[in-house]
Amino acid sequence: MSDVSYTRRLSPSTRAALGVFARYGTIIGLLAMILVFSFLSPHAFPTFSNFINVLNQASLAMIIAGGLTMAVIVGELDLSVGYAASLHGVLVTGLIVANHLPIPVAVLIELALGALIGVVNGVIVTKLKVNSVIATLGVGTVLVGLSFAYSAGVPIVSGVPESFLQLALGRWLFGIPNPIIFMALVFGGLWLLVERTAIGQEIQAVGGNPAAARLAGINVDRIKILGFVLSGMCAALTGTLLAARLGSGTTNAADSYLLTAFAAVFLGSATLRDGEFHILGTLIGTLIIVLGFNGLNIFGAPTFSQFVFQGAILIVAVGLASLGRSLAES
Amino acid sequence: MNPVPTLMAAPPAVPFVAASAVSKSYGGAQALRGASLSVLPGEVHGLVGANGAGKSTLIRILAGLTQPDTGEIAIEGRPVAIASPHAASGLGMSFIHQELAFVPDMTVLENIMLGLPKKTTRLGLVDWAAIQRDVAPIIERVGITAPLDAAAKSLSTAENWLISIARALVWKARLIVMDEPTASLSASECRKLFSIIRGLSASGVAVLYVSHRLDEILDLCGRVTVLRDGRSVAVLDGPGLTRRGLVQAIVGGAVEHLSKSRDTARGEVVLSVRGLRRLPRVTEASFDLHRGEVLGLGGLVGAGRSELARLLYGADRPDAGSMTIEGGPFAPRTPAGAVRAGLGLVPEERRTEGLLLGKSVAFNLSLGNLTPLLASPVLPFISLRKRARLAQATIRDLSIKASSTEQPVGRLSGGNQQKVVIGRWLRSKPEVLILDEPTRGVDIGARGEIHRLIRELAGHGMAVLVISSEPDELPDLCDRVLVMAEGRIVRELAGTDLTRSAIIEASYALTEERVPA
Repeated sequence: MSDVSYTRRLSPSTRAALGVFARYGTIIGLLAMILVFSFLSPHAFPTFSNFINVLNQASLAMIIAGGLTMAVIVGELDLSVGYAASLHGVLVTGLIVANHLPIPVAVLIELALGALIGVVNGVIVTKLKVNSVIATLGVGTVLVGLSFAYSAGVPIVSGVPESFLQLALGRWLFGIPNPIIFMALVFGGLWLLVERTAIGQEIQAVGGNPAAARLAGINVDRIKILGFVLSGMCAALTGTLLAARLGSGTTNAADSYLLTAFAAVFLGSATLRDGEFHILGTLIGTLIIVLGFNGLNIFGAPTFSQFVFQGAILIVAVGLASLGRSLAES
Repeated sequence: MNPVPTLMAAPPAVPFVAASAVSKSYGGAQALRGASLSVLPGEVHGLVGANGAGKSTLIRILAGLTQPDTGEIAIEGRPVAIASPHAASGLGMSFIHQELAFVPDMTVLENIMLGLPKKTTRLGLVDWAAIQRDVAPIIERVGITAPLDAAAKSLSTAENWLISIARALVWKARLIVMDEPTASLSASECRKLFSIIRGLSASGVAVLYVSHRLDEILDLCGRVTVLRDGRSVAVLDGPGLTRRGLVQAIVGGAVEHLSKSRDTARGEVVLSVRGLRRLPRVTEASFDLHRGEVLGLGGLVGAGRSELARLLYGADRPDAGSMTIEGGPFAPRTPAGAVRAGLGLVPEERRTEGLLLGKSVAFNLSLGNLTPLLASPVLPFISLRKRARLAQATIRDLSIKASSTEQPVGRLSGGNQQKVVIGRWLRSKPEVLILDEPTRGVDIGARGEIHRLIRELAGHGMAVLVISSEPDELPDLCDRVLVMAEGRIVRELAGTDLTRSAIIEASYALTEERVPA
């Protein structure tokens, strides 16, 4: 039978209250954070330009988290996204600076490479039946090695054309920074894919109950590989944009996105639905984390506190998600 | 005339456990409405009722898995609160659930002692030798013959049942609750289980026996509580405890009888199977399945029926043999391939293999058949409105009892869940539909409806293969029945030969023939 959690012993009213907390706790937390920061720093925080700035900063983490969401929806973990993004950053600058490829071609090559890394991850997990934590950690470490091999560990700085930097620094439509537009396109696309397409239904089914999905005639392996491919492509986009923003290709520039993305995805699973991963949740999850960082920055909190904040929020997020699940089951 | 039965003359004993006026609702659904149940020390007490009548909820409450909204539970006359499964076992109750819980890689002895306090040596290490000595009489009593150091995963379902019973006895349980214990046991294993239950009762351990199989209930139980719509509608005992009485109490109205009217004209061969083999369970299977017929596959548990179905469905690949579908070669490598070729499957374990319990009825109905939901032929998007409309139509056609198309399917009763799994194939109309134990754990009323539905599907030209462990089920439902034993199809029964006793006889046929050899 199902596992036994302490939630079963609670009175119905406590349970209802906890249920509200588990589903809406993250949104309440987000609003509370905005209120507190606005109150403490009425001139710097609650302004349109700060909001755009925060969103711009958040966009890269959001894109990688959106991709990671696709991997976790199909029931797997992808630990390679941070390392992959770093590699893409190095490669894309290299392709442009050393090989003089046109920028669109270089970006398309990166996206294709991201998809390929996803296929490799997916095949290792589905065909060789290696646990996804191990498989993607292994693949990610290989990518770190490739990245060093390509750049010898030296950041590619000189000769990066201005037009490449514009990819991340430019603005479009009403002066909205490009990364926000990319992020919106990625999230819109992924949301439509998961919630409104036939493949999306299969993705949800595979994540929810792989055995039932398989016997219903769904090609489970193919769907899982697709999850990794989307994750890999989002990592490629993030890595490329980060290189454009930094104006350089650096071997470990994007590594730390992994933890941010995981915290966001798990926070997201505890948002609105009972511990189920979904795109909209990831969007809200990333916002919480990035706004938290921004607030800590504005108040000049020391660097260590950002790590404490991120680690703590990951644990809170997973806790909330499993609370939601056990409430839904009992 | 035998006047007053002695049982009634005796002073009323204090029940070991008494639940009175228990109510429980899940969301809007009222699972129990003031149900009562009392089990006397050492009696075998039956608990019956249609699916959704509240049996599982009542048991979950006794097991401490969920809390009642109102009502009282008393153990030996003292009111108690059962806050957790741990508390329930502390009160002397032991539960053997339908899905057995054991650790496959641990040994028989380790599984018996799982979670129980263990004797230790002076150094604080577990003293397995002493434990083995203590447990030996219990092992003998329940008849575990497997070596104690064998891995539990190497044991049959029946033997794992014995482990669970042994656990309960080691823990000195005063009441053992068994939920559908014979659902996956063969006839001889059932007989063994019954004698163990009688032995338990004689030694003062009460058994609460939950089952849909009324013959077993009548055979074993002294008293039977009948639940209907969350209420305890009858407690039958003595001369009042008859099959007719039970059925009337369960159904609460007249019982409808399925008439066996058959349109015997069957169509051309759709699926042809020749010499299919996958050792050790399937040695040789050849048969033809015709359009518009319902073909039954009977036999004992372990005869190789489910394994044969897995071969047809591409879940496993055969060592030898060939299949054709619609005259063309058919060698599915995956279930997805089998579905593309025109097969549909209603799997045996509907909760783990058939459904996404947390997802809506509409989601589950559309699983694996999404093309009709597309909003337009060019774009890949699905229309939620179309999905809801199709789901609504299926809910109506199959009279699925659901509050809406968006209700999570896990909240439905077993029979309605099964209709959802069948409903999935209603629109995609596969050439061949395989149903594995379609009415297992389903109440009498829903069973009749599912049977009618299967006949209808065949009537519309589908070729249907039904696998069932219940000999009662196949003669009612099928045009023709193949009986499997030890990996082979040993007999084909049709027409007037197709009876319950013929199926049972054929199931044992091979075993008997082998005796002199």
